[in-house]
Amino acid sequence: MPHLPVRSRRIGAIAVGLALVGGAAACGPKSDDDKASDGTPQKGGTLYVLNNQALEDFDPARLYTSGGGNVPSLVYRTLTTRNREDGAAGAKVVPDLATNTGEPSQNATVWTYHLKDGLKYEDGTAITTADIKYDIERSFAPELSGGAPYLRDWLVGAADYQGPYKDPKGLSSIETPDAKTIVFHLNKPEGEFPLLATQTSFAPVPKAKDTGTKYAEHPVSSGPYKVVSNQNNGEHLVLERNPYWSAATDDQRKAYPDTIDVTSGLDQAVINQRLSAGVGKDADAVTTDTNLGPSELAQVSGDKSLASRVGTGYFGYTDYIAFNPKVAPFDNIKVREAIAYAVNRTTVVNAQGGSSLNKPATTFLPDQASFGYTPYDPFPAGATGDPAKAKELLAAAGYPNGLTITLTHDTTKGDEQGPEVATAVQEALKLAGITVKLDGQEHNAFSDTIRTVSTEPGFFLTGWGADWPSGGPFLGPIFDGRQIVTDGANFNSAQLNDPSVNAEIDAINKITDLQEAAKRWGALDKKIGAQALTVPLYHPVYKRLFGTNIRNVVISDWTGVLDVSQVAVK
Amino acid sequence: MTVDALTAVEAGVDATASAPALGARQLWRRLRAQRAALAGGVVIVLLVLIALGAPLLAGIEGQDTTSYHADLLDSAAGAVPRGTFGGVSGEHWLGIEPTTGRDLFARLVYGARISLFVAFGATLLQVLVGGAFGLAAGLGNRFVDGLLSRTTDVFVTMPALIFAIALIAVVPGGFPRPVLLMLVLGLLAWGGIAKIVRAQVLAHKTLDYVAASRLAGSGPWRTARRELLPALVAPVMTYAAILLPTNVVSEASLSFLGIGVKPPTASWGQMLSSANTWYQADPAYVLLPALLLFVTVLAFTVFAEGVRVALDPRAASRLRIGTGRARKDEAGDGSGDGEAVVEK
Repeated sequence: MPHLPVRSRRIGAIAVGLALVGGAAACGPKSDDDKASDGTPQKGGTLYVLNNQALEDFDPARLYTSGGGNVPSLVYRTLTTRNREDGAAGAKVVPDLATNTGEPSQNATVWTYHLKDGLKYEDGTAITTADIKYDIERSFAPELSGGAPYLRDWLVGAADYQGPYKDPKGLSSIETPDAKTIVFHLNKPEGEFPLLATQTSFAPVPKAKDTGTKYAEHPVSSGPYKVVSNQNNGEHLVLERNPYWSAATDDQRKAYPDTIDVTSGLDQAVINQRLSAGVGKDADAVTTDTNLGPSELAQVSGDKSLASRVGTGYFGYTDYIAFNPKVAPFDNIKVREAIAYAVNRTTVVNAQGGSSLNKPATTFLPDQASFGYTPYDPFPAGATGDPAKAKELLAAAGYPNGLTITLTHDTTKGDEQGPEVATAVQEALKLAGITVKLDGQEHNAFSDTIRTVSTEPGFFLTGWGADWPSGGPFLGPIFDGRQIVTDGANFNSAQLNDPSVNAEIDAINKITDLQEAAKRWGALDKKIGAQALTVPLYHPVYKRLFGTNIRNVVISDWTGVLDVSQVAVK
Repeated sequence: MTVDALTAVEAGVDATASAPALGARQLWRRLRAQRAALAGGVVIVLLVLIALGAPLLAGIEGQDTTSYHADLLDSAAGAVPRGTFGGVSGEHWLGIEPTTGRDLFARLVYGARISLFVAFGATLLQVLVGGAFGLAAGLGNRFVDGLLSRTTDVFVTMPALIFAIALIAVVPGGFPRPVLLMLVLGLLAWGGIAKIVRAQVLAHKTLDYVAASRLAGSGPWRTARRELLPALVAPVMTYAAILLPTNVVSEASLSFLGIGVKPPTASWGQMLSSANTWYQADPAYVLLPALLLFVTVLAFTVFAEGVRVALDPRAASRLRIGTGRARKDEAGDGSGDGEAVVEK
């Protein structure tokens, strides 16, 4: 488990990044249909992407994406990819470079893939499995840090591998018996390997063209677009068509525009202002990382033409109250239950911008089938909380006169763990006789405090998103007792180490039928939920504007964001 | 701000240097003659009354600062208040806060407490610390003067706001924030007042009446207390009146930056900070704290100018107040003389 901390921290980071970057498309499927009826999408034109955060380190070994990313996926094809469809269908994994999503054997510890025919790079040379193996090896190089760290835990003998520059022998756990076959040997069953194979570390990189840390400036494209300019480390990226990409081998990317121009570093208010005005080139623009804020939503809701240009999407994410049962009085389950009853999800949702931007949550898993969502509510508090029931439980717990506790939160204004949510919780608990003192901490200090076992407070706000839409990366890091780490990247806030939970996680990881696995994750979530180790608060909803000329808006439940590979500007 | 205020006050200070100490009644008469200053003073008194009576006022309205009113918000539209002008109604006189539904009137009147407490407290501290430093530097020997003056220079040149941000960040969370704000502002921005006091002490030290007092056997402490302090009242009061609005703004700035009072406590700066994204969707939410802050700072500034003019013998003579002629006017047609005379 030595690499777990890195993994967990990165997951957290990406989840937050996605949350910020996420909400793009217009009221989902409905809007899409409206747009499509204006005329079928045509090839040509330039699509502008206006973003807040730069696409730093645009190297397939260094990018940490969910499902291969939005813009990265235009340049890098991977063994598998996410299904480019609206809603729940978009949470499925489909083949990309490979002919299928993977052939498991030996109890899901060996995974074999075969490449499609006719796959070419931007220079016309053929894509081989050796190049995919090479990119995975690169992702282990310390100089190319940043990518998803799962493989270090999963691949046999990879724990201490230092990358192909220091160790050219490579990883023996990845075999390439011929140019079209690749075999992965894992040290434990991983039924969700096909979902991991969507990440950009599974893209091909030709060894002869590898320029190490400079590769991001001009990577060799396997997708429909190639990078013609990458300024200031991803701040301004210009992509043009890759003539050797063939739609015949790629049924996922539509690639309508001729050019994609990505500008980052823009203020979020400016992005929303430009997209709503839609003047000039901004009519052909979208954003993949900027949500509408509550105040902007209030404006949009009063303007029908603007409202038709808002894309609504759902990325699997849950914001919740975490308890540390090692700290009194949260060791008493009745106290935790009382808080679960007292919480008013309506005021919490309002604090984050209202019911259009958030859905109240009673389950830890996001309410999507791919996660194995199983509806449950062990402590039914209704929409506005049940302070009377909470008082009863408190009295039973030995606090008939109420109690005083401290809620730790982030001081960042508007943050999901910020003072607005903390104050709403404080006010709701007041009605149940619980006095809540607020301990606001600066963003980085806050995440260090809550992620370090020795400093972890008893009662704090946090959130979790997964690297792929499944129960595994959602429940594992949070409730698997073997993933408790003491060095500052612990996500198992409850420090739960329940042998039956651990065993069930292992059992589900062996299942290669993802639907079957999802059911088991849902059941496990329900079982853990009864222990009141968390109080799920809400699932964020992404609402993002797009320009007046944008057509064919597709928003999957995998990313919650409009897919730039599907968008047309004509 | 400090440097500007410093230059602004020095004109008046020079003139007051050799003026005899002013009586309270005379000061009042001179202040009264300036309508703007008087209006400023009235506003300040009102604000103080509002701040002191905040629980009473909120009680009359029947609201408090922390209760949420989710039923009055349009949750689907970004949790914006329903109704006109930010949800103004008989129950909520100035409307409610978006995303929470907390009562704005109650939050504004309670916010006045924070703004005024911090501003008055910080100003008092600045006067005390600055006065002590200036007096000691002016009266001390070359070494003491050098040491204290250089220390003062450090505080004058220091970017107080940035330093305040750093200082507030390291203080433990349990410390009461309004007191902390008062202490930080008060103990950082006293440099200007120290310089003025020192300059005044140096100027007076050489004057005959001080020399006479020393010759009569008074020690330095007695001289300072009996002879120098009364002469310092005018410049210090003038400068303090200018510091007050600066401190109101500083408190609002720190709260605006999110390091002022902690939620759910209301302060105008904090309200302005939460409101700044709502200027289009709910203008009332932005306008109310902004307007109050504007009126407060304006009232203090105008009043400060009035105090400066009243304490400036040159300006006073221009006003023809407290001179023989003004007395004649007063005797003639009562108190409505001020402005007409000023116009000359």
